[in-house]
Amino acid sequence: MTSSGAKILVIDDEPQIQKLLRVTLQARGFEIVEASSGEDGILQAAMVRPDLIVLDLGLPDIPGMEVLQRIHEWTQIPIIVLTAKDREEDKISALDSGADDYVTKPFGMGELLARIRVALRHNAKSQDEPILKFGRLVIDLAGRTVELDGEKIKLTPTEYELLKILATNAGRVMTHKQLLQQVWGGHQYDSNSHYLRVYIGHLRKKIETDSARPNFIITEPGIGYRFMANT
Amino acid sequence: MDQKLRNVQLNEYMHSNKIPDSWPASEKVMVCVSASPFSKQLIRTTWQMAASLKVEWIAVYVETPRRLPKSEEERLALLSNLQFAEELGATVMTITGNNVADEILELARNQNVKQIVIGKPRYSRIWEWMHGSVVNQVIRNSHEISIHMIQGQVESRRDKKYIIFSIENLKWSPYFIITASVALLTILLKIFGLSFDLVNIALFYLFPVLFGSVRFGIGPSFYAAGIGVLAFDFFFVPPVYSFTVSDLRYVISFAVFLVVATLTASLASRLRHQLHEVRQREAITSTLYALSRQMTAVTDLKEALKSMVRQISETVGAQVAIYLPSETGELRITEFSSGDLNWGQREPSMVLVKWVYRNGEIAGNGTQTLHNSPELYFPLKTGDQIHGVLAIHLKNEDLVVTPDRMQLIKALTSLSAMTIARIKLQEEAKVAHLTAESERLRTALLDSISHELRTPLATIIGSVTALIDGDVVFNSKDRQELLSTIREGAMRMDRLISNLLGMVRIESGMLRLRKAWCDLEDIVGVALTQVKDSLQNRVIRLEIEESIPPIEVDDVLLEQVLVNVLSNAIKYSPDESEIVLSAKENKNMIEIIIADKGVGIPPHELERVFSKFYRGESAKNIPGTGLGLAICKEIIEAHGGTIRATENSPNGTIITVSIPLIDPPLLQNENLQEEGVKPHDEFGSKNTGYR
Repeated sequence: MTSSGAKILVIDDEPQIQKLLRVTLQARGFEIVEASSGEDGILQAAMVRPDLIVLDLGLPDIPGMEVLQRIHEWTQIPIIVLTAKDREEDKISALDSGADDYVTKPFGMGELLARIRVALRHNAKSQDEPILKFGRLVIDLAGRTVELDGEKIKLTPTEYELLKILATNAGRVMTHKQLLQQVWGGHQYDSNSHYLRVYIGHLRKKIETDSARPNFIITEPGIGYRFMANT
Repeated sequence: MDQKLRNVQLNEYMHSNKIPDSWPASEKVMVCVSASPFSKQLIRTTWQMAASLKVEWIAVYVETPRRLPKSEEERLALLSNLQFAEELGATVMTITGNNVADEILELARNQNVKQIVIGKPRYSRIWEWMHGSVVNQVIRNSHEISIHMIQGQVESRRDKKYIIFSIENLKWSPYFIITASVALLTILLKIFGLSFDLVNIALFYLFPVLFGSVRFGIGPSFYAAGIGVLAFDFFFVPPVYSFTVSDLRYVISFAVFLVVATLTASLASRLRHQLHEVRQREAITSTLYALSRQMTAVTDLKEALKSMVRQISETVGAQVAIYLPSETGELRITEFSSGDLNWGQREPSMVLVKWVYRNGEIAGNGTQTLHNSPELYFPLKTGDQIHGVLAIHLKNEDLVVTPDRMQLIKALTSLSAMTIARIKLQEEAKVAHLTAESERLRTALLDSISHELRTPLATIIGSVTALIDGDVVFNSKDRQELLSTIREGAMRMDRLISNLLGMVRIESGMLRLRKAWCDLEDIVGVALTQVKDSLQNRVIRLEIEESIPPIEVDDVLLEQVLVNVLSNAIKYSPDESEIVLSAKENKNMIEIIIADKGVGIPPHELERVFSKFYRGESAKNIPGTGLGLAICKEIIEAHGGTIRATENSPNGTIITVSIPLIDPPLLQNENLQEEGVKPHDEFGSKNTGYR
């Protein structure tokens, strides 16, 4: 993993959180730049050109969502948002406006580090690897085949497309809207959201050992799904 | 017992029995009331007397079989007199007995009356000689009671009313009808009745008498008797067509006829009178009954006022309005019968309404206060409390409310006042209950927060200070232990805060469901990962039916419910025990059943565990806020479902969550089964899966 040495911009107005992130992330070998307001954050993002931004959505000067959009106007730096619990709407709108992932406060440091690593890796890696391996599950993007424990499994075109999108974004949360747009082609996602659940159910039955305790496709309640990379 | 002590006890006794300080004050004055117009003056005198002596007074009327009110006018006059006395503050009593004097004196002695006011009789000596004088009897037997005899005078103002009555009663039409019927009878008898004996013909003339007495009362029937005799004499007794009588025996016949006719007439008219009275009483009773039945049924003030106004306005035949004080204490019309309401909002009306509301006395038409106003105002009062004012608008200023109508209206208003008081009390009780409930909640909340927040905080601060303290060097195992204590404490605080926030959100009505179609299995899966860390060696066995259709729920909230219930199941059951989560379809409901083998909930607490801050007796030493299940209940009920707790056998608890099932939308143009069998090597182009 080449995440060490990456430059991370932390935009948060809480000194306590700033301090926590600085100490722990520096200990992991990251370089930390701090900004304590939205405006400052946007400025720093342009000046220091970080590899990743950790953005608190509850900033005192401008809404976190606006910071997110203004940074995304000119760069594709991955952004991980920090949100309060029970704010599913905020999380979804942040993700749909281009945030890479989210972490709910209070968070465990392990969780944040995992998100940071996935985001950095995702950003670094181009999608030209033809074969994705996740333990027992192997997806051959070139051959459009899926193997579980070395055996080919039958998937419908939609199921395959869904699995492919989830797997290529392994570790990242995908919102319902993102999945529907990418699998079904960008419109009518409200009326179609029911399809997604049905297809996820079918997919789980085919690739999970126990579909009530999934290992690969994890539900993020109210938001979407996450394909677990490290299984 | 020494004197001082005895005085103290006496004082206490008097105090506890609400006896006024001095004994003489309970001596009373009594006035004997009759239907006579002079009674008013007696009443007024007695009132003044009682006022100057500062004593209570009684107005009494003795009803004897012989002295039953003879006519409607007399009855009304009596009622009016008694009512007048009541208005002036007398205790009004009507007693029945055979001897007026005895009854008066007995009552006087019972009531501790020391002075009796009685009117000087105006009947003749002959009448007195025949019937005996009540006044004389009273005086003779009075002994210690002083008797005041007063010469009555007619009060002009009051009399006007009865002149109106008598003019109204002196109608000419009954006499015309009687004359006509006697004439008709005579013609008929002349044509058909010649074959009858003269005695029989005389009997026929009793018919108009009977008819007149039953139909019109005593006057017309006497008239019928008179002209009956004349007609009989003139047309039938020889010499015919002359008033002269040839046979003197007929004179006796006439006399007998007249006596019979008079007796019949008076009996029949008395009967008629009684019938009328009974009917009127029956009407009053049924009116009161109807209203009281309506009143007991209503719990809403608006509804109650509406039916009061309707009932009273129908009974009186006039417009009715009820004034109640608003929140600022200002009286305004709250309910009124249909029609023009100008009268009720005019300035003089409002002044009277305020006066009545302040003084709690009747005012307006025919009363002591502003007697020539076209309206009548009744205070709606129970005990000392005045709840509002009821106004009756008479169509015509000359119209007088008859005393018995007045009685009925009073009964109706006191019934209304009672209803208003009852509803007010009900509302007050509800508010008091709510206040007490919120007080209890606040206390519980404070207790819960202070305990539940402080305990983990204590462990965190304790552990952290120990770690920071440089004097002690912990080995790595102890260090790890302290750190995990900190983590657990912090997690516990987080859970508490989430629950509190959840409750606040529900309480403040901010709970909004973001419903979507979900697979139950998916939600269960998420909930399981949430509780995974606290499981230790417990096992959660899943029994979810394959056939369960998708459900339309807020998945985040339903997951919270499952996490709360599962956390409880884990918290209250021993390590290594099994928890079963099953789900099935049951009569258009999805039932999610979570059964543990823990300490269980006693039967009497099964329902209460869902109330806010309620902690079961057996759960006292296990940390918790008593919010988890309350939140679950709110969430499930917002989904239109139910949650209940039952006992598991042999031990443990079963929590059953039922959520109504709705048919999911059909998947359009998508045949999953068909697509499902397609081999994946058919995926020719990348776009096959797109639509």
